[in-house]
Amino acid sequence: MKMLDRYEEVVGPAEVQRLRQLAARLGQRRIVHVNSTRSGGGVAEILGWMIPLMQELGLNASWEVIEGSADFYRVTKTLHNGLQGLPIILRPADFDLHLENNRENARRLNLEADIVFVHDPQPAFLPRFTPKGKVGRWVWRCHIDASRPNRSVWKHVEKAVLDYQATIFSMAAFTRPLPCPMFLIPPAIDPLSDKNISLSEEERMETVRRLGIDPDRPLLLQVSRFDRFKDPLGVIAAYRLVKPYQPNLQLVLAGGPADDDPEGSEVLREVMDRAGQDPDLKILLLPPDSHRTINALQRSAIIVLQKSVKEGFGLTVTEALWKGKPVIGGACGGITLQVHDYHTGFLVHSPEGAAYRIRYLLRYADKRRRMGRTGHEFVREHFLLTRHLRDYLTTLLCLDDPGEGALVA
Amino acid sequence: MAYVEPFALFDCSLARQAIGSSCSNLRDLLEALRSAPDTVLEHHMMRCALDDHFELYEFPNDLARWCWDALGDRLLAEQLGLVDPYQHPSMASVRSVLVNMIEDRLWGLERVPWCRPGLELHLISSRVIAFDTGERLGTLAAFAQALPGMSVRSLYFHVHESRRRRREGADDFSTWLELIGADAALVNRLRAVDFYFLNLNQLRQEFIDAFRYHLADPNILLKVTA
Repeated sequence: MKMLDRYEEVVGPAEVQRLRQLAARLGQRRIVHVNSTRSGGGVAEILGWMIPLMQELGLNASWEVIEGSADFYRVTKTLHNGLQGLPIILRPADFDLHLENNRENARRLNLEADIVFVHDPQPAFLPRFTPKGKVGRWVWRCHIDASRPNRSVWKHVEKAVLDYQATIFSMAAFTRPLPCPMFLIPPAIDPLSDKNISLSEEERMETVRRLGIDPDRPLLLQVSRFDRFKDPLGVIAAYRLVKPYQPNLQLVLAGGPADDDPEGSEVLREVMDRAGQDPDLKILLLPPDSHRTINALQRSAIIVLQKSVKEGFGLTVTEALWKGKPVIGGACGGITLQVHDYHTGFLVHSPEGAAYRIRYLLRYADKRRRMGRTGHEFVREHFLLTRHLRDYLTTLLCLDDPGEGALVA
Repeated sequence: MAYVEPFALFDCSLARQAIGSSCSNLRDLLEALRSAPDTVLEHHMMRCALDDHFELYEFPNDLARWCWDALGDRLLAEQLGLVDPYQHPSMASVRSVLVNMIEDRLWGLERVPWCRPGLELHLISSRVIAFDTGERLGTLAAFAQALPGMSVRSLYFHVHESRRRRREGADDFSTWLELIGADAALVNRLRAVDFYFLNLNQLRQEFIDAFRYHLADPNILLKVTA
């Protein structure tokens, strides 16, 4: 069975047919995506499904990955953080290393194409070092919130962006003024991935029991890194405010271990201290490939929280909505695009706000179920990978025929 | 009666672009309305219907919603919610009404309303990319059967976009139904639907209800929607 056929079962044959019709208007366009890794991280995950789906749609799509030394990846990790506005220090030699690496990769990679999508800042300088005429159009796909970057990092990255004909950001709030068009394509989830696919009841129950969670009692869940921006202490505070009214309530905070992140380790210590000896409050440190475990936890929760105070798009919210769970989320970033009061959950601004909404949702099972159904349909309409792919195809058509008026393709 | 081509069903997608500016307060919004390209006004006043999903969404355009949710200016939100851009001959006319409304509001306020950080209105421009789905509906019954399964984007293209595309300001559906000699009462009912104040799912339901009422055999629809 082809990949697209499997998605037909989720989004319906008409949606997949529309993708085929849009793609047919692009012919056998040669498209190359370039990023910095073939596995691990959100971008590699997206390209992992996007390349084969584009190929199935008849586009001549391929995926190139830049190579670099450990020192290069140290520099680009710092650039990545700086682009998100974290305080960083980079020396002129670090910026030079970035340029030099991209010069070498431009020589090595097969970039001959009608359109090259360059993902994130690591390969951003490829256009500068690629012979003119080899690439029809360059498009920079920035997956990061670049709205308030570190100044020195932005000065560096901005020079690269000048060589692009267009950019793509996930949300308007993540952009900065640039001289080329800034298309908007929100991210999406793959409904057939291990993280989101339907699980058997046996697997779900086996997972929660293995983790020491009582499947018969209500479970609150937050899945996120142990990071101050995700406000895990605020989640614990909200849980404690509700617990006297719902003594059987359980809370799970699930995230990855923070071995290589000093600040993450510190936050994790504070979270552990705050959790104390409460047997109903579990901190789970899961390996990065625990997709099915996360899936089972999300399906077992009665309410999912994402009480961030600063957030990117918040795909954990999308995942929870897809599983029919109401979400209580911090009013920031992409959470505000997904959580709509009384429709898919509630936006909150404090632990007290979260506690109030938890009590409300625990009290009204019918509203909880209705929000769950609405959230599931909302994600089906707006945040599945078929929509993501459709947006890419639409962008490609726009690049072919720039203008303002309606385009009949 | 002259031969009438079957109805050609189109679908559409929106290509959205950030223009790199945002509004934090009512004065910013006024400035944006004065200077932003028409495509920005079109997006926030009309094409935002394609982002809409929920029933009972209070307002039909982004500007009214932002004034209500982010600025907390309920009076202005109510006024903006009532501006129906499809009743205006041009975007210049819509712009003039909006600017006048906000100038008037600012005139009467002692303090300019601001939003909390994170709730800014990020200005977006958009473009409709329409394409022929290849589906052809040759009879009233075929049309009625297709309606429940039509994508909201097709509805947007044939109802909202059509009002701007066609000089006479009608939707594609009723125009075609009139051409094939459908019941005038059905045609008139479809044209009378206050489409701007409905989200696209509600609009589809209104149309289904109209067909159900006027079709000789309403079971055609029942069979599909059951």
